[in-house]
Amino acid sequence: MSLPIDQRSLQLARRYLQVANGLLIPLYLLVAAALYGAFIYAPTEREMGDVQRIFYFHMGTAWNSFLTFFAVFVAGIAYLITRKSKWDKLGAACAEVGMVFTTIVMVTGSIWAKPIWNTWWAWGDPRLMSVMVLWLMYAAYFILRSSLPEGDKKYKFSAVFGIIAFLDVPIVWMSIRWWRTIHPVVITSSGAELAAEMLHALMVSLIAMTVLCVTLVALRTAQRLNSSLADEVFQQLDQERVSRQ
Amino acid sequence: MNQVALIWILAEKDLKVEYRSPQAFLNTVFFALLILVIFNFAFDPGSQATREATPGILWVALLFPGIIQLNRSFQAEREEGTLYGLILSPTDRGVLFLGKFIANWAFLVVVDFLVLGAFVIFYNFSFSVQMLWVAWIIILASVGFAAVGTVFAAMLSSIRTREVLLPILLFPIIIPIILAAVNGTQEILILEEAQFLDRWLQLLIAFDVIFVAAGFLLFDYVVAD
Amino acid sequence: MSDPSNSLVLLSRVTKIFGLVRAVLDVDLEVCRGDFLAIFGPNGAGKTTLLRMVSGLTQPTSGSIQFESNDDHSGRDRVGYVSHQSFLYNELTGLENLVFYGRLYGIGKARGRAEEMLVKMGLQDARYQRVGTYSRGMKQRLTLARALLHEPDLLLLDEPYTGLDQHGSRIFTEVLKGLKEEGRTVLLITHNLGAGLELCGQIVIQNKGELVFQASRGQVDASDFERLYFQVVEGGRR
Repeated sequence: MSLPIDQRSLQLARRYLQVANGLLIPLYLLVAAALYGAFIYAPTEREMGDVQRIFYFHMGTAWNSFLTFFAVFVAGIAYLITRKSKWDKLGAACAEVGMVFTTIVMVTGSIWAKPIWNTWWAWGDPRLMSVMVLWLMYAAYFILRSSLPEGDKKYKFSAVFGIIAFLDVPIVWMSIRWWRTIHPVVITSSGAELAAEMLHALMVSLIAMTVLCVTLVALRTAQRLNSSLADEVFQQLDQERVSRQ
Repeated sequence: MNQVALIWILAEKDLKVEYRSPQAFLNTVFFALLILVIFNFAFDPGSQATREATPGILWVALLFPGIIQLNRSFQAEREEGTLYGLILSPTDRGVLFLGKFIANWAFLVVVDFLVLGAFVIFYNFSFSVQMLWVAWIIILASVGFAAVGTVFAAMLSSIRTREVLLPILLFPIIIPIILAAVNGTQEILILEEAQFLDRWLQLLIAFDVIFVAAGFLLFDYVVAD
Repeated sequence: MSDPSNSLVLLSRVTKIFGLVRAVLDVDLEVCRGDFLAIFGPNGAGKTTLLRMVSGLTQPTSGSIQFESNDDHSGRDRVGYVSHQSFLYNELTGLENLVFYGRLYGIGKARGRAEEMLVKMGLQDARYQRVGTYSRGMKQRLTLARALLHEPDLLLLDEPYTGLDQHGSRIFTEVLKGLKEEGRTVLLITHNLGAGLELCGQIVIQNKGELVFQASRGQVDASDFERLYFQVVEGGRR
């Protein structure tokens, strides 16, 4: 007995896996380089000491959590126009990876803030606050998804929320900045001039984290495509069993 | 038919329904008043610190009743299936959005003004020109709140857990509105020198424009089943 | 029946799947102008889903529903739909409800048209009362008036007899007979085999999503129909 499987979907999942596979070796090299850059190559920061080294990963993940948010937005528009579920799979995968990265940004930020600002969570820092709002939006996105059964409705609503949330990000950013500049600023920007070595380490880390992000998104999209194909097969088997009885 | 006239016909219908079943309106106002009173118990009403927090208290008291109204606005359209009646008509979905949004906005503004009056009395402010500025902030903030809220409420009206989901989706999005409204109100009532008021008003207007437009364009995807 | 110029709606291989449930399966159906078609079937047969797809409220998972092309009509206002729900505002009066919908459908003299429909349905005395105060039968007639307001090409009726008492059913049947005489095209879902047979020109039985029986009224003996119905439905179950 052969079951009809959506060959194009299967092909697409395969292509995503190929992308992830192809990136694997560059990813290992880049992560090794980033680790070397952050822990050995870059000099120790004079005032903050070794804890500053976390900043290379912090920045790398922060950039990617914004990037994935943009990808969710684009995938959402693509879904609403084409109504092809592959776009929803991609959007959801981006949101998942984005949520993990945003969490890492907040955790690394806290680890850094404790010795430097003497507090785990700096409510006064506009960047930290903006990332927190981003995290809340990702969380809301998944809570919405989990309340809907698979199907066009779920994909549409997720897309609409993703689009609205992305449009909101610049306004959130502006409003939090203004809010903090009006109130007495407890914490000044840490944007001291970076030594050339530090900048190199940062660039390598940014690239490594971006490749990691793309690899994870490709893997998760492939998994989501495959798991929906598997669901279809189970469904057909179920129906065949019922009709035989 | 003229699209603008259609928007008004839709909004008028909603307001007429609200007017004839005033229970919901009264409940919403009462709930907001309760929040104001509870805050009076929660914080020492005489202290300077509480006085400085009053703008925040006002906006929390306006926020929660707003959520209730948004949830109700589509729930009522589900009960007799009137939402399907609207969807089946040849009316443009963007027009449906604007009608609902305007009705929600008008409802919120009326509730909010009543609550503002109570706020002035409970927290010992005076009915001065300053309050007109606060009223202006309420009008602008309600636009953005009602615009995003109308889209989300329409989306969630078919989901069982909508009562919880609406604030979960809405609150992160409207953080700029809350910041602008609270800080703008603070400038007017507490600081008494409105240095950055313009900025906050501009932020509210930007939010309003972006999300009324987004709602107009996206509504089609959230009302159809 | 197969005269192509007379065809109004053509359903071909229409299927609707909700999750794991195949609500409507491979339905082929042609509805011609002037047909009064009754759809019978047990609960859960997919009748309502089929009607919702014809109305445009739900999109089929696969297959197509094509209205005979007629350029001066956009898709949505060709159908009048009486569903399980009334689509009426309880806080508005009968007249206000009809005028509101009339305007949404872009009817020029919405008020006049609404008054006309109220008279036709025997509701002129109740036009200034809120719909919330109407009896079930009155509400059902107003629902029908709402569905007919914009002169749809096709009227969809989903269990219009639910909740009506004997008296209400009789009045409603009279109204439907009137529609039949006007030559309207109607799709009627009902459990009321007697009323359905009395009105319809075509009979369809749907079971487990599929159309399992199709005949014109003349081919079916009314006294024997109940036996036939159970035979068809039970037969499909085995």
